[in-house]
Amino acid sequence: MSEHDTIRELLALAAAGALTPAEEQRVAEHVRSCIACSNELEAWRPIARELRRLPTPQPSSWLVQATLARAEATLAEQAEQDWNRRALIGVVAFSWLLTLASWAVFHEVSERFGSMLAPQFSHPWIGFAFMALEWLAGAAAAVVLAVHQRDERRLA
Amino acid sequence: MVGAAALSLEGLVAVDADVARLRRGDTNALSELIARYQNRLYRYLLRIVRQPAEAEDLFQQTWLRVVEKIGSFDASRKFDAWLFTLARNLAIDHLRRVRPRSLDEPLANSRHGETVADRIPSHDDTPLDQALAAERRAELSDAMAELPMMYREVLTLRFEEEMKIEEIAQVTGVPVSTVKSRLRRSLEQLRSALDAPDRGAAWQ
Repeated sequence: MSEHDTIRELLALAAAGALTPAEEQRVAEHVRSCIACSNELEAWRPIARELRRLPTPQPSSWLVQATLARAEATLAEQAEQDWNRRALIGVVAFSWLLTLASWAVFHEVSERFGSMLAPQFSHPWIGFAFMALEWLAGAAAAVVLAVHQRDERRLA
Repeated sequence: MVGAAALSLEGLVAVDADVARLRRGDTNALSELIARYQNRLYRYLLRIVRQPAEAEDLFQQTWLRVVEKIGSFDASRKFDAWLFTLARNLAIDHLRRVRPRSLDEPLANSRHGETVADRIPSHDDTPLDQALAAERRAELSDAMAELPMMYREVLTLRFEEEMKIEEIAQVTGVPVSTVKSRLRRSLEQLRSALDAPDRGAAWQ
């Protein structure tokens, strides 16, 4: 392809201001010495100019207000879901903390009273089982609530 | 020039602040972002789908998507490029669902944009100049509406949104070379349409 043909292909983009500085330089140099390309570039300019000046269609104020109202409702819903999620995490974390803290109390109480009731009573294992049950119950509750929340979001 | 750059920078900073506030759930920030981008976004959607009712529906969907996805917005990106990408994805999904052929083929359509043309102050001098300019723009608008969707899109992003080629590539998700070739072809098709004998004399 000759330089003339190459430049010819760049003229529409030149009018659109879409060339690199090097390409612009190349076009400018060629156009100075080529009347056909110079005329062709001038033919592109009014199209590019008028494209920039096309009237801008505007959304109605009703549409903008309705959009804002729907978006705000979505934001509020998201905020509520976030709060619920945080509250759920907090409750589960708190219950686990309580379980851990109660271990010491349970240990003390079972040692004092368990040995009085039955000397062969193996209280550490009972305590461990009790704690494991609490953990499992907490985890199950978290899973159930998370699934419930996901279903609610899907329905929404 | 310096003043315009300063204003532009000021605008970018304001957008960044609004985006940060929206991430925290501030509804005023949302209102300001909608006010800032409503005309540009609506025009872009209307150029793509061509039907005002569809553009209005997509306009709402786009802002709802913004609210849903703002947490995953990469603050190093430009907000308008991200906004137009969301709008584009929704518009293309819509066109695929509603008019599967419209992505490639022109669709007979009434003039769009001309209903608001009178609201736009003209920069042309005499009443005759103004009439001719209005006619030229109406013809241009019609010719543009008859182009395939990819060509309408690249024209509106370049000339109406004044995006750089790299920004258009970011919004459309194609390489810069593809954007350039689409832009050249769209201009060539537009010019052919305007040169057609059945068009008025405003471009002759």
